Amino acid sequence: MRYVVRRLGFFALTLWVALTLNFFIPRFMPGNPLDALRARTHDRLSPAALEQMLTSYGFKPHQNIFVQYLEYLRNMFTGHWGISIGATLGEPVSTIVWQALPWTLGLVGVTTVLAFLLGSLIGVVAAWRRGGRLDSVLPPVFVVTSALPYFWVGLMLILVFSVWTHGWLPSDFNYDPDLLPEFSLGFIENVLKHAVLPAATILIASIGAWILTMRNNMITTLAEDYVRMGRAKGLSNSRIMTDYAARNAMLPNLSGFAMSLGFVITGSILVEYVFNYPGLGYQLYNAVQNTDYPLMQALFMLFTVAVLVALLVCDFAIAWLDPRVRATGSR
Amino acid sequence: MRRTKTIAAAVVSLSLLAAACTSATKKATSSSAANNPSGSVSTQPGSTAKASHKQGGTVTIVNVQGQTWSCQFNPFNPAVYAESLGFVYEPLVFVNLLNNAAETPMLASSYTWGPDKKSITFTIRDGVKWSDGQPFSADDVAFTFNLMKRVPATDLYSLWTGAGLQTVTATGNKVLLSFAKPAQPYFWYFADQVGIVPQHIWTTAAVAAHPDTWADANPVGTGPFKVSPCGPNNIQYVANPNYWQAGKPYIQKIVYPGYLDNGPGNRDLASGKGQWGSQFIPNIKQFYLSKSPDNHTWSPPVTNVEIFPNLDPSHPQTSKLAVRQAISMAIDRNKVSQIGEDGQQPPANQTGIILPTFNMYYDASAVAAAGYDKPNVDKAKSLMASAGYSPSNPLKLTIITITGYTDWDASLAVIKQNLASIGIDLTVQDLAQQTFNSRLYTGDFDLAYYGEPTSGPSPYYELRQILYSKNTAPIGKSASTNYERYINPAVDALFDQYPSADSATQVSLIKQIGQAMLNDVPIIPTTESVDWFQYNTKDIAGWPTPADPYAQPAAFNFPDAGQVLLHLYSKSAQ
Repeated sequence: MRYVVRRLGFFALTLWVALTLNFFIPRFMPGNPLDALRARTHDRLSPAALEQMLTSYGFKPHQNIFVQYLEYLRNMFTGHWGISIGATLGEPVSTIVWQALPWTLGLVGVTTVLAFLLGSLIGVVAAWRRGGRLDSVLPPVFVVTSALPYFWVGLMLILVFSVWTHGWLPSDFNYDPDLLPEFSLGFIENVLKHAVLPAATILIASIGAWILTMRNNMITTLAEDYVRMGRAKGLSNSRIMTDYAARNAMLPNLSGFAMSLGFVITGSILVEYVFNYPGLGYQLYNAVQNTDYPLMQALFMLFTVAVLVALLVCDFAIAWLDPRVRATGSR
Repeated sequence: MRRTKTIAAAVVSLSLLAAACTSATKKATSSSAANNPSGSVSTQPGSTAKASHKQGGTVTIVNVQGQTWSCQFNPFNPAVYAESLGFVYEPLVFVNLLNNAAETPMLASSYTWGPDKKSITFTIRDGVKWSDGQPFSADDVAFTFNLMKRVPATDLYSLWTGAGLQTVTATGNKVLLSFAKPAQPYFWYFADQVGIVPQHIWTTAAVAAHPDTWADANPVGTGPFKVSPCGPNNIQYVANPNYWQAGKPYIQKIVYPGYLDNGPGNRDLASGKGQWGSQFIPNIKQFYLSKSPDNHTWSPPVTNVEIFPNLDPSHPQTSKLAVRQAISMAIDRNKVSQIGEDGQQPPANQTGIILPTFNMYYDASAVAAAGYDKPNVDKAKSLMASAGYSPSNPLKLTIITITGYTDWDASLAVIKQNLASIGIDLTVQDLAQQTFNSRLYTGDFDLAYYGEPTSGPSPYYELRQILYSKNTAPIGKSASTNYERYINPAVDALFDQYPSADSATQVSLIKQIGQAMLNDVPIIPTTESVDWFQYNTKDIAGWPTPADPYAQPAAFNFPDAGQVLLHLYSKSAQ
């Protein structure tokens, strides 16, 4: 119990520190929303009118920064995230976030889970038959693919499957822009089609790490005494592979997986950029480019919370799975 | 239009370059009716559209926005006005920057200037309806201008504060605008750039409380199109059946996807999925033009890309005239244009007059007499020697530019080479956009590479921005547009005479200002930035061309985009 309380306390402290940094760091960056707006409107508009307009949207540069900070903390917790003062000037931040979030969760979330499951499976099989044909082909291939940059993989896939094949698979957007979102088979098919290339990109570039770590953990585990005992007992190979070896070899990977789930929400900026996929990562990039404090704050807050929650869940899960952690925690 | 910077994608050159490249705009003050001083305008709108066409067809616009759509259409919100002005809201008079400020009457059927051009009376067009069926009247016009007085955030062109607008009143079908001083240079802003909004909607309680921040998700305007529907990925416009120009628009539907980056946008242009392009395409011949005989491009120049030297005495090297003259003479602008800009941005000249757009203001003999008609390395070397520099005692200078604007980096590589030959050791410093902006505005640089992205229907607009001393500020303070800190009372006087001058005198005033550019070299133009424009003629015809430049062709220009849409028609619907 003390362990849980301590973890929760740590969680709250980290959250507060992160939120505080999240407020001050953007304001220490060079530039300000007014300059960014002036540059975007090519200096043709009256700066006085633009400043008035930003003020109307809630930007108060002359207010005491501490007062702003307290207001910011309250707003973060009450969900009043304000109105964008960047490239989407005037759009409520919550609208932007809720529009982008499902796409990021759908694309990056699903592919992360897929990459983990698929990668672990391949790793298990490769380790079981180490030295075999699978093991001598796949790990080296994935060492290479995991070193490839996301955007490069994306561009190559676009070249092969979209440009050379004259639009066999769509290379941009989350669905055809002239379609209206609706719950129909045609629309869902369209969405899935648009997800193929970006998902393949993430999969190709991230699966390698899972395969390699899983394979190595597995090889270590296979040398353990209890595996040898399983064999001596005459258990079937598949039983030893899955129930004895893989189950234990998976443990270290699980915490890595929990953390990567936390990072899902940050999206995959480059993939979203290359594929014109309107997710959170892209919004973050734009918010930073345009010194859009309200949007940046809300996004960083979400990312922080997501990662911290993932870590917390991971801590609890490990404590539950591994008594040693619990023991040291309560001593 | 955007604007955007290359992230990694540039490596494979599929991606774009620079938002910077998309400069296209207009600002500050000044005259428009250069060739039409009396203000009599023909009453037949759209006079360049010869024949009428059958209705039908769809146009897809590829104008990289760098953002998903917010689905707001408030014409006073600078983040969205380019998608509402021209499409939904219309100006009083359309002024064509590319064709010597030729005018097309829109919501005003004619106008007359009062004495000294201190007042102007618009006659408002009869028979115009708002898209909700309500009649449009002079009251709506007066309401729009008075709204800008009541809510200063909506007075984007500082008409009430800077231009000296005093009263706006409607009587019958006339609207009178009275100014405290000659207002002719502001005609461009109040007649062309301001969209007229409906009083009956903007006086409802919710709107009247915050007209500056009102979302205006379902805009009601007089324009040729209505929004139906809008989502984060796409704005779809459909033709307004009540439109006052009978039979128009010919095009019945516009698809306007929200492209986040140039790479995807340019691919859709190359494949013909989009017909109307408005951003830089690297290696355009191979990437776009060769893909189909129906693909065309015409990107008319509108402003300068230039080197801003810091003229403040605290910067002893760049405030020295001989050094600036030497730099300007050493730069091979043709090469900068060819290598740095893929030949898509033409070379600029030292007068800062954009050619061929503003030919009538250009004095070729003065440029030749001053020695700026072609690169002259020998003369540049002797100028450097006169300033006390030599190959053994080179001048070290740093130029700041914006990270990710790869075309500018390529241009600067050429310039660096040019300057090395006259003994200037140039260091190029790439800065993040925000850092660059604040250093440019506050004068924290020796040299800065930037495209003054402001234009208007004569060179007056851009040159006044750059050279007028009221647009500058001391080092450390934010200058509005005169970043190089140029202060010359004689040049200020030329600008001050311009508003009340007749059109012939205005041309001569601009020529004198061009002469000051040659004498003082306050800035060093290198290339001319253009309106990026690519178009596909497979099904859609009626595009603006060099032979018929009836409006600025890039989709991010307003209200010009509305003019283009009134000319386009579908071949298959005929």
